[in-house]
Amino acid sequence: MTDKIIDILTDISGADEGEILADTELFEEGVLDSFGLVQLVVALEGEGYKLDLAELDRSQVSTPAKIAQLLQ
Amino acid sequence: MSPYQSLLFFALLALVLLPAAVLGLRGRSLRVYGFAATLVMLLLFFDSWRARLLLAFFYLLQVSLCFGYLALRRKSGRRPLLWLALLLSLTPLLLCKLGGLLPALRPLSFLGVSYMSFRAAQVLIEIYDGHIRELSLLDLSYFLLFFPSVASGPIDRYRRFSADLHQERSGEEYGELLRQGVWKLMTGAFYHFALGELIWQFWLARLPEHGFLATWSYLYGYTFYMFFNFAGYSRMAVGTAVLLGVQMPDNFNRPFLSVDMKDFWARWHISLSTWLRDYVYNRFALASLRGKWFKNPRVGSCLGYFITMTLMGLWHGLTPGYLVYGLYHGALMALNEVLDTRWKKFKKLKKQPAARTVMALITFHLFGFGLLLFSGRIL
Repeated sequence: MTDKIIDILTDISGADEGEILADTELFEEGVLDSFGLVQLVVALEGEGYKLDLAELDRSQVSTPAKIAQLLQ
Repeated sequence: MSPYQSLLFFALLALVLLPAAVLGLRGRSLRVYGFAATLVMLLLFFDSWRARLLLAFFYLLQVSLCFGYLALRRKSGRRPLLWLALLLSLTPLLLCKLGGLLPALRPLSFLGVSYMSFRAAQVLIEIYDGHIRELSLLDLSYFLLFFPSVASGPIDRYRRFSADLHQERSGEEYGELLRQGVWKLMTGAFYHFALGELIWQFWLARLPEHGFLATWSYLYGYTFYMFFNFAGYSRMAVGTAVLLGVQMPDNFNRPFLSVDMKDFWARWHISLSTWLRDYVYNRFALASLRGKWFKNPRVGSCLGYFITMTLMGLWHGLTPGYLVYGLYHGALMALNEVLDTRWKKFKKLKKQPAARTVMALITFHLFGFGLLLFSGRIL
């Protein structure tokens, strides 16, 4: 699951392969911003996961591992 | 009487807060007392019958809309109903803002219409989203009218506010709030009255009205003045709220350390920028992505920033100056977006201490120039 999320995040942010790890701090490292978060929510919708953007706290999705945990 | 502006206000505030502190230290709920205190303070703020009537009409309209829309939402999730409710809810604010252009509408303006409208609109949107499924008349009324932040914010959120009202606290826990609240009130007053006023009296008021150097100096003076004046005011409002058991979030977080404009708006007037982010920008961005409106999705983000920041500008008033101010910040946010996505080094620079200092200085000047537009000094 975490790998899948890393793939999505790499695609969204244009990061280099291997740049994003399971514990990368996504907002601190500039991988995600406000729009990136919206893109993530839409990309996960495409995978069948529904996240409510309005209820999402950045601390819940600050690393790929946390996102995977949230989805599970 | 205007809030936080006279000795009489602070004397009355002390009278109102003293029983709150006694109740809080005894571990009692402040919900009903706080609402009663809000009504008393509003009677003092709205010191003419015309103003009181306008407030009463506004309050009845917003409460009816919130309860009415909640009842409708239980039956139908159609979006046009939300748009209609929002239009009705924002009509008093629109009329007040139009008063800037049409003098005949000016008598319709009243204290706090902007901030109370933001609160009501937020309740309606959250009812539509399904996040608010129940409303309490007391909590809603208290939330809409809450006197510490009625005139200039911060803009709180209903569910957070209501949760605070119902939180049970021991006397010891309230003691900690008391310490925090008094500290914020005192430091806020120091910012607002000491530092803000000093800058005004001994810097801005002494500058010539025209001239390049005077305008250059005004940029620095006015930027610092706005910070101490507004951050101080917000801090006093937050401190007062905390003493009433409402832990309202802070409105400023060291904005002059910001390394770019996105960072800046996450630190300046935070409650307004997060409101606009959550209820305008995010929704526009989400719709543009789901609807695949743009070949390059980031175009949607740039346009979203333009719309959001233009609204922010116009919210201050329907004048060409505020429109230009909003467009200017929309352009800066869009440029920030382009740099973030197109120039990989930009993100790396944000992590280097020396580069951060330079970027903070650039951000400060970009914001300062925006305030020259805002103040009307160069338009």
